[in-house]
Amino acid sequence: MNWTGKDMDTYLQQKEYIDTLVVPLVKVETKMDNMKTSASSTEFVMHLASLIETQFKGRMMFAPPFSYTPATDHQQMAQSTLQEFSAATFKHVFFLTTDHIWTSMELPGQVIWMPSIPLENMDASLRQSILEDQLRQVLPKFTEQWAK
Amino acid sequence: MSSKVSRRQFLSYTLMGVGGFMVSATVMPMVRFAVDPVLQPKGEGELVPTQQKADELTETPVRVDFTIKDRKDGWYKSDVSNTAWVYKEGDTVIALSPVCKHLGCTVNWEGDEKHKNEFFCPCHNGRYEKNGKNIPGSPPLGPLDEYVVEVVDGYVHLGKTVPNTLV
Repeated sequence: MNWTGKDMDTYLQQKEYIDTLVVPLVKVETKMDNMKTSASSTEFVMHLASLIETQFKGRMMFAPPFSYTPATDHQQMAQSTLQEFSAATFKHVFFLTTDHIWTSMELPGQVIWMPSIPLENMDASLRQSILEDQLRQVLPKFTEQWAK
Repeated sequence: MSSKVSRRQFLSYTLMGVGGFMVSATVMPMVRFAVDPVLQPKGEGELVPTQQKADELTETPVRVDFTIKDRKDGWYKSDVSNTAWVYKEGDTVIALSPVCKHLGCTVNWEGDEKHKNEFFCPCHNGRYEKNGKNIPGSPPLGPLDEYVVEVVDGYVHLGKTVPNTLV
């Protein structure tokens, strides 16, 4: 499910089945030199998110991506903004990111860190197969939590 | 014997010619406008070629990916990648949609070790028989949809989804 009105209607009717929230965390670089990597990894995260979404549409709700700049106080963001997700009605919360700083943070859910892969120069079929490989790697992390 | 065109005739021909031209200039766009829906190519319902050869299919469903090029959603054009589970039943090729009828997850053939010879939905353990029939007791309430299939030059072509006809 995506964070859209229509999907939200479905969620509100099927709450007992859709018990997982995925929040993409993306870093928006402001320095010219880092912008390209930032854009590229955002692209990767969003592509991966949409692939996971099609795969697990009926169990996951995808929040809009949370973005931050390098000057952001991660500790504070983790403790205030993101902490609020612990009160959400979702049983499982995941944070999907390519920024490894989150792996050391206390977040109200599981952090799924993926190394960013630049997708911009790949043709569609290669991109698809690479994303599917990545998907296969994250799958166990979800199923593990669900099995608990 | 008057092969000469009189002034009166010349004027009336000219007027008719110019008048006819002007009338057609206004009527033609209207006619074109009226018949336009008929002339539009049909975007949906068209068959999309896949990489799958029909004679390589067996009775075990295989995953076939295909892309619908330039699908238009308003002004937004995009390529949509789609998946189908394709297998052969006798001589007929059957393509099932992988979209779970419960809440729309993607189902996999033999996705769970405990349930061989079945489609399995990882979200809520939905199960389907090979022909797409939902197994009672699991969350899905209906059978998997089918794709319109055609074999053209040995390759499987897939169209839009239709309600399951096998169950």
